[in-house]
Amino acid sequence: MSIRDVLRDPQILAMGGGGFTMEPDNPALDDFALTLVGRPEPRILFLPTASGDPTAQITAFYARYARRASATHLSLFRRHGSARSLADIVLEQDIVYVGGGSMRNLLAIWRAHALDELLAEAWRRGIVLVGLSAGAMCWFAGGVTRSSGPLETIAGLGLLPGSFSVHADGEPERLPVWLAAVRSGELPGGWAADDGVGLLFRGTRMVRVVSSRPGAAALRADAVGAELVRHRIEPELLGAAPGRLAERPVPDAIRELRELRRAMRR
Amino acid sequence: MHATRPPQIVAFGGGGFSMEAGNPLLDDYVLGLAERERPRVCFVPTASGDADHYVVRFYRTFAARCETSHVSLFRRDRGDGAVEGDLEAHLLTRDVIYVGGGSVVSLLGAWRAHGLDRVLKGAWRRGVILCGLSAGSLCWFQEAVTAFHGAPTVVRGLGLLPHSNCVHYDGEPERREEYRRFVGDGVTAGYAADDGAALHFVGRDLRRVVSSRRHARAFHVAPRDGEVVEQPLAVSYLGDSERDLSAVA
Repeated sequence: MSIRDVLRDPQILAMGGGGFTMEPDNPALDDFALTLVGRPEPRILFLPTASGDPTAQITAFYARYARRASATHLSLFRRHGSARSLADIVLEQDIVYVGGGSMRNLLAIWRAHALDELLAEAWRRGIVLVGLSAGAMCWFAGGVTRSSGPLETIAGLGLLPGSFSVHADGEPERLPVWLAAVRSGELPGGWAADDGVGLLFRGTRMVRVVSSRPGAAALRADAVGAELVRHRIEPELLGAAPGRLAERPVPDAIRELRELRRAMRR
Repeated sequence: MHATRPPQIVAFGGGGFSMEAGNPLLDDYVLGLAERERPRVCFVPTASGDADHYVVRFYRTFAARCETSHVSLFRRDRGDGAVEGDLEAHLLTRDVIYVGGGSVVSLLGAWRAHGLDRVLKGAWRRGVILCGLSAGSLCWFQEAVTAFHGAPTVVRGLGLLPHSNCVHYDGEPERREEYRRFVGDGVTAGYAADDGAALHFVGRDLRRVVSSRRHARAFHVAPRDGEVVEQPLAVSYLGDSERDLSAVA
């Protein structure tokens, strides 16, 4: 481990929604996550625990990252046939990316495998933690979940102070539940994010708000006395530069088809 | 529910519809215990992360002859055909609760988070037959040997059965060695079962061992005089009785 590795700040990118599972045609947030690591071909590990390791999420992860990163996933439901310890697997990563799903299951299953402690250690060592929805709220003191059906508050791992609520635009019924919980003191003040919006924390400080979609935003809310104080945060729009589509990698099958067509024209 | 049925658990070392397509002997044995024309069977696939293909295979296997349902702990918000609302009321009125394979550690974590450990204990006491393979066997015992991530380790199960358990005893030789070592080191004495062998407990006691494969074995593993003794158990191969019955008819 180099001195640079030792000095890496803890970083968390918490997304209200978005990334490869929700935006298959928009890589802006996932590209941004890679820029948080100062090395080419970063090692990125996907944890699809909150949804029970569904194949579709795992496939979408590799489709997004396999060409630009050393990408692997960790299943807590299916056997890999690997005898390596969870600690060895997690602590060699540059990025750990956590998918959405049931936050109650996510935390309970992580705790059963002692992965909660391991991820806190990874964070302290400067491994970048990225996640959306349940995979974003889990890092905070608490959030709002549907893990048992109805919307309700839930405690997180508490690496980041404050609460986090997701899908503020995509699931509009969620925001009022979060605001009421902040007002009553059931949850500490914090942030709500629209789909496509990511909050970047360095240490425990929120340093940037970015977005993959024009018009999406974040919200900060705090209880001051019995009053709720809230303000909108305008994110930086990612990937707005022209010519971006041309830079996207072309899948093998499409490249092959194009070459075939060119050859036929000749 | 059957007021007259005692608590029963059928713990497969491996087998049933998940592992033995085309061999229904173990599943048929469990359904027979229900003593009902169309048994009410609920599938709990938590250990697999509620894998869709697994749920589909369950319905394919049982829907024609049972009242079937399944519990999803990952999609309680979406109502994709799983039991909705009061899980406890549903589970307490089943004849059989069938727990699928996967990771027993993940299974126990998720069950505890949803209070399903308590519900299943209640169901067992009320005579709902509990069965399962692999993780769905290990979970009922006091202690269980799992080899899901890396080397075999011992985990605490729900403890309905005051024994330890080791599954796939023939399939994975290192499990056998490790299990014997664990029992030597103070892990509760218990039962090991090959793929295709099923341990049928009535109350907390082993009543019978049945099998879907002619040579599947099961053992009681316990310390005796400073050694760990692996005592083979009598196994009834279910295929023979089937053949006998058809011969009589």
